[in-house]
Amino acid sequence: MAPEALLSHLNRADGSATYTQNGYSIIGAVNGPLEVQRRDELPSEATVEVNVRPAIGVGSPKERHLETLLASTLRTIILTRHIPRTLVQITLQVRSLPSEHAICGVDASLSLLPHLIHTALLALLSSSMPLRTTVTAALVVLPAGRDAAPMLQPTARDVMLAKPIQSAHVFAFSGNGKVLLNESDGSFTYEEWEEACEMAEEVCCKEGGVGLSDAMQVDGGSENLERWLREVVRRKVEKEMRWKSGT
Amino acid sequence: MPREAEISVNERTFIQQALQENIRLDGRAFDAFRPLKLNFGDEYGVADVELGKTRVIARISVEVTTPLPERKFDGIFQIVTEFSPMASPAFEVGRPTDAEVILSRILEKAIRRSNALDTESLCIIAGLKCFALRADVHIIDHDGGLIDASCIAVMAALQHFRRPDVVVEGEKAIVLSEREREPIPLSILHQPLCVTFSYYEEGEIFLVDATLAEEQVRQAEIIVTMNRHGEVCQIAKYGGATVDPLALLNCTNIALQKVQDMSRFIQHKLDEDAKKRDVGGLMAELSAENAR
Repeated sequence: MAPEALLSHLNRADGSATYTQNGYSIIGAVNGPLEVQRRDELPSEATVEVNVRPAIGVGSPKERHLETLLASTLRTIILTRHIPRTLVQITLQVRSLPSEHAICGVDASLSLLPHLIHTALLALLSSSMPLRTTVTAALVVLPAGRDAAPMLQPTARDVMLAKPIQSAHVFAFSGNGKVLLNESDGSFTYEEWEEACEMAEEVCCKEGGVGLSDAMQVDGGSENLERWLREVVRRKVEKEMRWKSGT
Repeated sequence: MPREAEISVNERTFIQQALQENIRLDGRAFDAFRPLKLNFGDEYGVADVELGKTRVIARISVEVTTPLPERKFDGIFQIVTEFSPMASPAFEVGRPTDAEVILSRILEKAIRRSNALDTESLCIIAGLKCFALRADVHIIDHDGGLIDASCIAVMAALQHFRRPDVVVEGEKAIVLSEREREPIPLSILHQPLCVTFSYYEEGEIFLVDATLAEEQVRQAEIIVTMNRHGEVCQIAKYGGATVDPLALLNCTNIALQKVQDMSRFIQHKLDEDAKKRDVGGLMAELSAENAR
């Protein structure tokens, strides 16, 4: 299932996006560049502030942890040195989670992380913030048991049915195929980690191994996130250039 | 965090002058609401309200806890409003603005203390177990009229929500999942809704559902909460210029009409949603609700 994206639908924020995939629905908003508070001001670059707000309740240490991960990842893709002494404020509001989210056996913050990254990127694109590159992320889940196949971007329901889970990994790749973020949970060998990394790279980046990507096509189970992102941006530009193309 | 940009002097005089000539910026009548939209999510208890450019999402959730020792027969009901920078960069997380404090206080009085929800029905075993209901109000977009929109969202979400059924055997209570037994609606005693009046020119001009620009120009506001039967739950006026008591009576009359319209609209949307969920007309058979 390709994620659904709705860009620039909020009136107040500078950039906004709603992202929906597999029962996860997140609203993201970006404000910036803004005036920064004295204590957060950096002389040579912009401050990136991320707020993650859960669907139910107020933020907990779990959200703070996600915020630090997101802030450090997004700081690498925003051209913060072009807008020094300003603030880029990113707010991510979780709207709904699949009902199996909390009980699927994978750490709840880990399975949410790729969706948050995508939402933040879409909101940044919508706000026309200067970016160095794009970022795409994927979750890979390795169920316990010798013959169990690793699951790429599984739904919460699939993960719940595949219990017990041995390890889960989140990888984020930049537009040029470099790893920007890796979070892993559970016990795994280096070989397993490498395999998971390759699988995630396959779905995140445009061209992995040629043979492998053909095999994926046959499976029909996954699509390319980079291609999806390009499609989203194409539609955004088309919409913005309506005034020109209409004449 | 930057402060909310204050409205410029030119804009201020423009709005005031237009109001004197009986014109509002968006061409509405003085006692007209902006177009109201209400959507329910796939889950129970999520209401997405759009009032013009203002957008509020209310979400109801439930868990089982022990009741408060001084209120053994009551369940717990809590309304949580926290502004996020999404609605406006002036809202900082963890530092409530005045607007946020007033909003949560008004909602508290309008919905919780007017006994809109029968908390006794949330009790499972007296003194031991009860449901704790929680309403989270998320402000997604802010263009004035937050109180009215939040109140509509919370009331609609409460009416849409279904709580899981429980079976009590002596001291033991079993919460039945959605698959085992159809969840049951909350018992709602009445539906209070808020109507905010902004007034200008020493109480000469009253506006219903002001936008953010109009809110910044106004002298003060009066919040009237009432249900569709015309019972006033609260009239709140936080400071500002004095207002004629007779004008207040006029406000309650207008509010009644607005509240009746909105109640009808919410009910219509609820019926529509129920029809959508009721595939094959099985809902009546699945329901575990007792006739009152």
